Amino acid sequence: MHTVRPLQLAKLPSGLALLCAAANLQFGALAATAPLPPDHAARMTRGLESFDREVGDLLKEHCLKCHGGDKIKGDLDLGTRELLLKGGADGPSVVPFHPEQSRLLKMLRHEEEPFMPERKPRLPEELIAKIEAWIQQGAPYSKPLVEGKKAERDRAKVTEEDRQWWAFAPLSQLAPPEAAGWKHPVDRFLAAKAATKGLAFAQKADRRTLIRRATLDLTGLPPTPDEVERFVRDPDPDAWPKLIDALLARPGYGERWARHWMDVARYGESSGFEQDYDRVGSYHYRDFLIHALNSDLPFSQFVQWQIAGDEFAPGNPKALAATAFLSLGVFPTQITINELERVRYEDMDDMLSTTSAAFLGLTVGCARCHDHKYDPIPTRDYYRMLSSFTGTVRSEIELEVDPDKTREMKAVWKTGHEKLLAEQHQWEQSGQPRFERFLQQELPGFTAPPAWEVWTPAETKTSAGTKLAPQPDGSFLTAKGTVPNQENFEFVSAAPQRTLTGLRLEALPDPSLPRTGPGRAGNGNFQLSRVRVEMESAGGERQEVALSGAVADFEQNSKTMGVAAALTGRKGEGWSIGGKEKEPHSAAFTFAEPLTPPAGSRIRVTLEFQSGAQHSIGRPRLSWMSGGEPALAHPTFAADVAELLRGRRSPEIPADRRKLERWWLEQQAPWRALESRRVASEKAEPSGLSKVLVASESFPPVKYHTAGGSVETYKETFVLKRGNVALKEEPATPGFLQVLARAPEQRWAWTPPAQATYFGKRRALANWILDETQGAGALAARVFVNRLWLHHFGQGIVATPNDFGKTGAPPAQPELLDWLAGELLAKGGSVKAMHRLLLTSEAYQQAALKEEAKEKADPANALFVRRTPVRLEGEAIRDSLLAVAGLLDPQMYGPGVADDKSPRRSIYLRVKRSKLTSSMVSFDQPEPLASQGLRPTTTVAPQALILMNSTLARNAAAALAARVNKSAGQGATPERLIEEAYAVALSRAPLPEERGLASAFLQTQAARLGGASGTPTQAASEAFAHFCQVLLETNEFVYLP
Amino acid sequence: MNSLHSLTRREALQRAGGGFGWLACAALLDRTGGAAHAARNPLAPKTPPLPARAKSVIWIFANGGPSQVDTWDYKPELQKRDGMTLDGFDPKTGFFPGSAGPLMKSPFEWAQHGRSGTWVSDLFPHLSRHVDKMSFVHSCWTGSNNHSPALFMMNTGITRMGSPCVGSWVTYGLGSEAESLPSFVVMSDPLKRGLPKGSALNWGAGFLPSVYQGTWLKPDGDPIENLTPAAATAGEAQRAQLDLLAGLNRRHMAATPIESELSARIESFELAYRMQTAAPEAFDISSEPEHIRKLYGTDQNHCKHFAVQCLTARRMVERGVRFVQIYSGGMENQQSWDCHGDLVGNHRGFALEADQPVAALLADLEQRGLLKETLVIWAGEFGRTPTSQKGGKPGRDHNPNAFTVWMAGGGVKGGFHYGESDEVGYKAATNKVHVRDFHATLLALLGIDHERLTYRFQGLDQRLTGVESAHVVKELFA
Repeated sequence: MHTVRPLQLAKLPSGLALLCAAANLQFGALAATAPLPPDHAARMTRGLESFDREVGDLLKEHCLKCHGGDKIKGDLDLGTRELLLKGGADGPSVVPFHPEQSRLLKMLRHEEEPFMPERKPRLPEELIAKIEAWIQQGAPYSKPLVEGKKAERDRAKVTEEDRQWWAFAPLSQLAPPEAAGWKHPVDRFLAAKAATKGLAFAQKADRRTLIRRATLDLTGLPPTPDEVERFVRDPDPDAWPKLIDALLARPGYGERWARHWMDVARYGESSGFEQDYDRVGSYHYRDFLIHALNSDLPFSQFVQWQIAGDEFAPGNPKALAATAFLSLGVFPTQITINELERVRYEDMDDMLSTTSAAFLGLTVGCARCHDHKYDPIPTRDYYRMLSSFTGTVRSEIELEVDPDKTREMKAVWKTGHEKLLAEQHQWEQSGQPRFERFLQQELPGFTAPPAWEVWTPAETKTSAGTKLAPQPDGSFLTAKGTVPNQENFEFVSAAPQRTLTGLRLEALPDPSLPRTGPGRAGNGNFQLSRVRVEMESAGGERQEVALSGAVADFEQNSKTMGVAAALTGRKGEGWSIGGKEKEPHSAAFTFAEPLTPPAGSRIRVTLEFQSGAQHSIGRPRLSWMSGGEPALAHPTFAADVAELLRGRRSPEIPADRRKLERWWLEQQAPWRALESRRVASEKAEPSGLSKVLVASESFPPVKYHTAGGSVETYKETFVLKRGNVALKEEPATPGFLQVLARAPEQRWAWTPPAQATYFGKRRALANWILDETQGAGALAARVFVNRLWLHHFGQGIVATPNDFGKTGAPPAQPELLDWLAGELLAKGGSVKAMHRLLLTSEAYQQAALKEEAKEKADPANALFVRRTPVRLEGEAIRDSLLAVAGLLDPQMYGPGVADDKSPRRSIYLRVKRSKLTSSMVSFDQPEPLASQGLRPTTTVAPQALILMNSTLARNAAAALAARVNKSAGQGATPERLIEEAYAVALSRAPLPEERGLASAFLQTQAARLGGASGTPTQAASEAFAHFCQVLLETNEFVYLP
Repeated sequence: MNSLHSLTRREALQRAGGGFGWLACAALLDRTGGAAHAARNPLAPKTPPLPARAKSVIWIFANGGPSQVDTWDYKPELQKRDGMTLDGFDPKTGFFPGSAGPLMKSPFEWAQHGRSGTWVSDLFPHLSRHVDKMSFVHSCWTGSNNHSPALFMMNTGITRMGSPCVGSWVTYGLGSEAESLPSFVVMSDPLKRGLPKGSALNWGAGFLPSVYQGTWLKPDGDPIENLTPAAATAGEAQRAQLDLLAGLNRRHMAATPIESELSARIESFELAYRMQTAAPEAFDISSEPEHIRKLYGTDQNHCKHFAVQCLTARRMVERGVRFVQIYSGGMENQQSWDCHGDLVGNHRGFALEADQPVAALLADLEQRGLLKETLVIWAGEFGRTPTSQKGGKPGRDHNPNAFTVWMAGGGVKGGFHYGESDEVGYKAATNKVHVRDFHATLLALLGIDHERLTYRFQGLDQRLTGVESAHVVKELFA
């Protein structure tokens, strides 16, 4: 908030300065940055008269309906003078005493949009003039225009009262109360409170229900019949905690609970938007989560690594993979130049919004365009926090994720490769005498087959300055840097002294080119608009060599992008290879007449790239054909080998001999076979490296298409007005939410080591998030334990897990929540210890019963004295189907699997944003676009269709039937089969009524199928598969009991 | 299930899974109430809060951004100034700043049509006969000059990804009248020319429950997944399975505290069973009389694919489907209306595909009395520059500043023109209509106040038209 600037005060005579200060107070001119005129008091008096006489009514009639009355459009409220001067979303539109600076008048005069009054004719000029005069007089109000309107609280300021909000307060440190008969601290909190309402826990569930509940809850899979029986019969009083420990030790625990966090982290494996490119390295983040949970990574590290793993544990690949948390969001890959900066702010907004929703349960993103309307989060705090991510970009880097495994794989490879090398060497040794014979006897009169001879021209020139660096293979590599839109490459050298029939142009890929080329366009394409060949006589006279035809190995299309276009140089056309980038390409041009260059002449080849923008070739190589048709099929001779083979030079030095030997070997089929095996084996050397998606300031960002500019060019983050990049205020200095900062911010700052490439601001952010005394740590712990509670109990203590602010739900059990948050910290952040704590409570072990009185007394179940079954997530349903069918593939980790018919667990199904797995989406897997703390549970017909008709469901039913048939043994009665199927699918025995229904079904269904299915045995077995499918469709199968 | 038959259709829809189903656990929708487990059908038809002019929408999405100055926005001044530079033209208007040329006249012939004397280019010989049914808005503008942000803008109201689409909002607001069909249906190019940029996100439910997402009808095979039972379980066998299932479920249900949620699940199976026959029947256009199929052009090679889609759309709305979108064109460049090069070839081709089928759709809806309650929309994601994009065969580049949308039926005026672009069609000039205004108007025609249709997410009552002001263009209302 601005007041009169001291500098301006200093210029005024001291008496006046005092007066101004007083006037400022008196009129509350909050937004008055312009100096007050000396006669302002007199003006104000006149202004008040004008307000009472007409301006007040004018504003009421023409403006107030949308700005202070029914609505407050554009955040501009004319209800009081304070509100008027505070201005709207675009800032103040009235500057008292300064009509020339007041946008309101421009809008009224339709000189600036939005024209006002909106969608109404322009006001008559005399009325506008009255408003102008009133502004000139200081725009005073004699009374508010809206009755009872007071200046709204200044949301840019955070008050002591704001800090008292339950979620922002320190943890309450209450000990569990005494509650008769209950020992477990969770039960003591709940029972004590319930007792005041005369309610108590429901009876304990039976052991079958308990093991099914715990196994599904902790691992996402149902227990096997053996596990059920063992537990039911276990006489150990500690059978239950023992079971929980065993379940927590299973790999399936991480595979289930990581998926919960993936909703929060808006986990996806592609970039979204136009191309929705795959992000090949993103699955390492999912693997990090599974591994972190299974190895009980402490909560603090869980937070630290996801925000700043590269800064907390620089050498640790898992910590690096964890940073993908920040970069999992969607990002466009085709950006017009005027969108680039906005896109960058949106990217940072995604990082900040997700971080604050996930760890703090706050909707910080709301403060992007204006101070948060409900929570004490000023826009300035938003941008200060946002600047923690200045320079943070998503990158795909090669990392050795599992060094032990790499060592093992490398050793195996080395043995095999060395064997191959020895074999090849041996062949070469034994071939020596034959090569000697070739040298002595065949070479002197050798007739080499027609071949392309690589040309290494002496001079090169480019029309727009691209540097061409000669390569050992005779090609020229374009230097990195700005790629000119249009350019010509020229190659000049003494003309070869033999008859030439054609020219070949190769476009070779190179790692330094965009997407490895071979073109220099962003996507690796090129467009050759023309090829020219010219002879230059010794006297300097140039003559064009006519080209009569052209062929290419591939053309993007045969017309405008065919190679023939390069013969004539038609505008806008030329040879392109779009669709087959990243591969070498070649084109051959035939001379109309064989060309025999005279001695002393020079030859010049010009490649023109005039059609597409930045579409030159990144690594061209030129070759000549002599003595044969210029066909692409002919082999290639390096320039010196050609000299030797054609007898233009005899092999004298050892180097020549080696070159010829190599050529000779290449002509021998057995050696070629060995060589191709060697090359393949070399390529297959396990690096142990894989692409990992990370977020940091240290690596180049993942590529995207833009017509210039790049996101990493933004070295500073600014405070933006209305979130608009065109309305920059001052640069934002990194900082945190004031309401959760009880100490000076340096407390959390961290200076990275001198040689570090990261900035250290994310580590500071994590420090603050985890600081439970002075920072946001208490809130972070509350938010985290609430998520655990939510999944175990079907609803959170706070029903809105991603919103602990004023618009969220209040905690149903605030004391318990605080105590649990304290326990998380006290147990060193052990998540497994928290699971154990929650599951060993009686509250967790209640039976799910119909208890109407309780429902009436506590409809929202805020007391947690009853339990409701919860529909399993799509992932758990699919995994359970596979598990009871005996089809589940236990393989862990690795790239996402595209086909949902795969037997892998659902957490490994690929999450491609434009192609989400429909069976998962049907069962409410959220779209991975923004952090989601809570899934809706819908029950819709497409879910039923999946269980009735999908291949997955039918295969699972058939496999379950086969499995039961096998375990029940030959000749088992239908009753026995029914029992066994119940045990596998539902962990219990059928009740008499169910037995009756099932047997009747088997009989009639077999009879019905009898006609079609051949033998009675076949019909019975088919009917049993149908029965198994029904079991898998039951409510009981898909609900967590 | 017998009780169902004694209910009226509407009651049944409200109680049992209407359209595509049920939302049973209300915990999410009612966030402050914790787990209120009342069964509630999220697709139950709801009475629109305001007087509704239209009940359903068929949106022909001219994908890629057709040129307004070559279709519906006649600009004699542009013809005159052909080849001249356009003062004040921003070369960054389009996607290719380096290829912007001078003003280029429309290469098509223009004539006036209908009682309204509406100028239409010769791209639309069939549709031009229906101009007196259409309300044109010539002053539309949008927030991005790039396909997918502009598509998201048109479909979700913001240029970023992640918000629900118009069809999802409408279904959320009004529910569905279709028992056996999805309430929001999307058809894309069946000629393998790609999906609109951003593909499925253009019909996603965003943060709304997934029950409101658009159902993309697959161009090949079963249009809806899992609709066909395996041979072994088809017919009676599956009926017997479901009877057993109901029996087992009822026994289990009696002992649980979430009876209504579980019974919703039982009924969802019954609905699924019925859908297996009802949905294919709705998609089967062979039952249409030959003269109707011919009217749409199913016998014409150049437009039969679009004819089938338009005819399917009519069958959908007839059966109570709320929102249908048909994409004309595939992804981009020459695969859609995105005429960067060869404006003539591009627009002739796509107009030829759409002209007769859409005209037939209007005529057919009218003769069935459905047009008055069905809003037919023609709109793409942006317009084109009146200047040329240089090339062997010139085209036009993206232009977010002006484009034309027309609507027909559904309570809008016929032969009516609203708003103007400037004299060459570069920018919307008078009565500008932002995409937000277009959305507000669309909702208003369906009887929804765009400021009242909200969903709580990330601490905010989110709405289709966002936080900035949006204006209903009431002038279009008949």
